This record gives sequence, C-alpha cells and structure tokens, in this order.
Amino acid sequence: MINQYLEDYYNAVYDTNRNEAFRVIDEALAKGVQPEEVVFKIIVPAIDKMINALTTDLDATISQHFIASQVAEEITEKMLARFKIKPGMEGRVIIGTPLGDFHGLGKKIVAGCLRANLFMVEDIGLNISPEVFVDKAESFGAQVIGISSMMIHTATGENGPKMVKKILIQRGLENKIKLVVGGAPYRFDSDLYKEVGADAYADNGITATKVIRELLGEVKNETRA
Amino acid sequence: MKHGLELLEPMFQGKLPERVPVILNLFEQGANELNLSIEEYYSDVDHIVEGQVRMAEKFGHDNLWATFYAAIDAETLGSKKTIFSDDGPPNVGQLIIRQYADVDELTIPGNINDSPFFSKQTELVKKLKKKAAGRLPVCAYVVASFSLPVLLMGIDRWLTLLLTGSSVIREALLAKCSEFVIKKIMALREAGADMIAYANPIASATFIKAHQFDKLAAKWISSDFKGAGSRNLVYFGGGGKIEPFLERIIDSSDAGAYYLNPFDDIVSAKVKVGPRGLVTGAINDIKLMSWSSGQIRAEVKQIMDKGKPNGGFLFGTQMMPYKISDKNIHIMVKAAHEYGRY
Repeated sequence: MINQYLEDYYNAVYDTNRNEAFRVIDEALAKGVQPEEVVFKIIVPAIDKMINALTTDLDATISQHFIASQVAEEITEKMLARFKIKPGMEGRVIIGTPLGDFHGLGKKIVAGCLRANLFMVEDIGLNISPEVFVDKAESFGAQVIGISSMMIHTATGENGPKMVKKILIQRGLENKIKLVVGGAPYRFDSDLYKEVGADAYADNGITATKVIRELLGEVKNETRA
Repeated sequence: MKHGLELLEPMFQGKLPERVPVILNLFEQGANELNLSIEEYYSDVDHIVEGQVRMAEKFGHDNLWATFYAAIDAETLGSKKTIFSDDGPPNVGQLIIRQYADVDELTIPGNINDSPFFSKQTELVKKLKKKAAGRLPVCAYVVASFSLPVLLMGIDRWLTLLLTGSSVIREALLAKCSEFVIKKIMALREAGADMIAYANPIASATFIKAHQFDKLAAKWISSDFKGAGSRNLVYFGGGGKIEPFLERIIDSSDAGAYYLNPFDDIVSAKVKVGPRGLVTGAINDIKLMSWSSGQIRAEVKQIMDKGKPNGGFLFGTQMMPYKISDKNIHIMVKAAHEYGRY
C-alpha cells in the first residue's frame, strides 16, 4: 500500500501538482500510515527518486525543483511534530546568498530539500557578508556552508565564496566546515566552483542534498583523522 | 566590409548577407569605458549613448543597446529603491508586491511617457538612433508580461502564485503586466528602436514544462504580441532554453527573430523556425571569461557551422559578464567575422 502512496506522491510533485501531493499524504494518514512512515517511506524516497530522475532528465525544470522542495519541507515539518520519538538529524547547514545577490529561489529550494531529509538548516537570508557566513556557521555548529548565487559577479567576486573560504582557512576551520556553491553561473561553467575555492557544487536544488551529504561524510572523516 | 543594418536588412528579405551579424549584449561595460561607476553611468542618458558608441567602435559588433537595466521597470511601476553594484547589473531593492492584495494597488501609467523612469528610455533610443545614423540597429529591451512579476514580487513569490496560487489574482496581475508591456513596446518602437528584445525567461523550458507553457504562458505572449504588433520584436529566452518550445512560441508570437540560449540546439531551432524568422545562436559567455584564444575560436566556429548554412542566422551572446576581458571579446568578434563570412 505504502509503495502506491510513494508512487502517487512522486508523480504529483514531479508534475508540480501541489494539491494532489497533499491529498495523497492526507489519504495515507487517514488509512493509518504513521507520520514516521510518511517521512521515511514516502517523502525521503520520493526526493531520492527525483534526484535520479532529474539527473537523467535533461528537460527537468526549476518549477519541478521548487514544488518538490516546498511540498516535501511542509509535509516533513508537520509530520515531525507528530513523531513519537524525535529523530536524529543528518547534519547542520548554513545557507544564504552572497553580498550583492538578492535572488533567493535557489537557496529556498535547497533548504526545503535538506529539511525534508532531516538536516538542521539555518537560512541566513540574502546579501550576506563573508564574515557573517562564517560567524553564523560557527555559532550554529554547521558542518557545511551553502552559498547560492544568481549572478556571475556575486559568484566570483572578492566578497563571495572566495572570501568565505579564505576566512575558514584563516580560522583553521576548512576541515570542519565545508563550502558548497550553486546557482546559474555554475550551470554555465561546471568548473567555476574550483575557481571560487568551494569544496563542491550542486547543479540544482534537488541534487544539493546528495552533494551536501557527501560533504558531511568528508567532514566526519577529516575531523576523525 | 558591410556592417550593422547593411547586413540585417537583406536578411529580413530572405537574402544572404555578406557575413553573419554579431550581436553583443554589452551593458554595464560602458561604465568602464567612461571610467565611471555603474551607478554614475546609469544616472545620465548621455553616458549610455557615449558608452555604447565607444564599445561599438572598439569591438566592431553590429548593434547598439538603448537600454538601462531590468530593474527600471520596477521603478517605473513604483519601486523606490534600486541597488547598484560595482561590477554587475543593478537589482530591484524594493518589491512593490509584498502580498496578494498589492496586486489591486498596482497601477499602469495611462501615458507611459509621463513616468520619468520611462521617458529617459525613449530619450536614449532617440539619441542613439541619431548617433547610429542608419548604420547600426538600435536595440531596446522589454521584459515579457509573464516574466515581469519577478521584478515586482520576487521569483519565489511569483512561482508560488503561478503554480499553486489563485488563478484570479494571477490573471489580474498578468493583465496589468501585459498592458504595461504593450505600452512599453509601442513607445520604444515609436521612439525609433530598430529591434526590441522581448525577454521571457519564466516561459522558457528551463523553468516550466510544455503543458505549463500551453496552459499558463501562451495566452500572455499572444496578448503582448497582438497588443503591440510583432514587427521588429525578437523573442529572447532571457537565460532560459527556448528551442524545445519554439513551435509553441512561434504560434503565440510570430516574432521576427528568435534568440537562443547557449544550451539550445541551433540546428533544430533553424529547422523549426524555417523561413518564418531569423535565429540567433548564443555563445556561453560565462565560459568566455576563462576560455583560451583557441577555445574561443573553436566555440565560435562550431556555432557558425551549425547556424550559418542557408542564412537567416545571427551570432550573439547572453548577458555578458562585466569582467570579461576586452582581449577575449576581440578574439570572439574577430573569429565571428572570419567564420561567419558567406
């Protein structure tokens, strides 16, 4: 039964049909599916399935990413409040846009997907200075800083990811806090993330979850060594 | 060597030009030419005129841009703040639609030229037209009604309303946006713009699926084009891919030319457009920042190899980053002149 709900929910979000996605989850709950099962057997597998689909579907759209992320985040938040035992979280992530960049769609998609996958995420907003990125990451205990840029000059400028990396190194944090970037300029040049000193880049909001999970693994290995 | 309008005019009659025209989307770079900050540059129409003319002389491309920045539409419609950058385009600093009730308050000026933010755009067209003296086409820029809400309410709010919100509010907002776009196109055309880029990123295949284009976007493209007339309009994806939707776009717009994204399939686009319009293929100008001379020439050649056969083709760029070196622009233009010759 639950596999059918997974299939129906997945098809709804893939088709950007928010109302149908919520209807499927409501029906599942009414039929006795537990909130924990909704998250771990429907929402999280649906995102994993979408990562695979969007990796091979070159025609996937930003609308699909946006709706999939927002619906998953909203349902997960509601379900978490009904969990019998609070689940362990995957890791802590700070996310924002660099100084001079006022385009928040990318980070909103990424934050939604991460929260649906039980990451602790602090969205620190738009137009964030490099110092604030690092200060907030330290105070939040983040293992990953995500910086989303819509514009080439904010992606590659001196007050963007480059300076964040420099400050991480100055404070001896480069092994404890990894830097991931994403946004339009990186889609036009997939090597650009290396130029700005990032540890990784995510091609879109949905696959960012996978990339960040891999970075968390690196942090665990490097801090253990 | 023929140049600018001498190349374009025969193309609109279905004839082969001497070479493929080269369209460079150089905007803020004019500030650098005049040794001004970007904010100073945009504060005076004469700065833009001078910057455009100097860049055309320097690089030898085939167009002039009579445009400020996209955020000026928001200013025209009531936004009180624009945020200027040292090395990139200005951003909207105050979104005028913060909640859906604000859609009711949105007012389109009866006479668009009464707005000082708009009248300086027509002044710019007129002054550049005079400077161009019939040699180079003066290009203007409008944001399509379907994409204009991004500048008024932000992209996430617009996508939320578009995909999950009230259709009544959405249609009311788009009707106002279309009224604005139609007035803007007509006024720019009347001022003398030779070509007007109609940028519609949200209706591109990067943002929406084909069925959403049919259900949500097509009607508003038709509204804009029917209201303003399709003469001298160039349909531009504005950073999104349009080739997958070209038949649909042609049905809705009947534009004179279609301006592709670097990731669009040029060969397929030329087949789809056929004799119904011109096609502009765009180079990936983010990569242009770091490519070697050999890589630039190879990229220009492969674009020309795909687009040049049988004519009807222009070579273009996306929204060129401010920091692309002059050297790389020169290499690209020289290669485009060489490989674009018929």
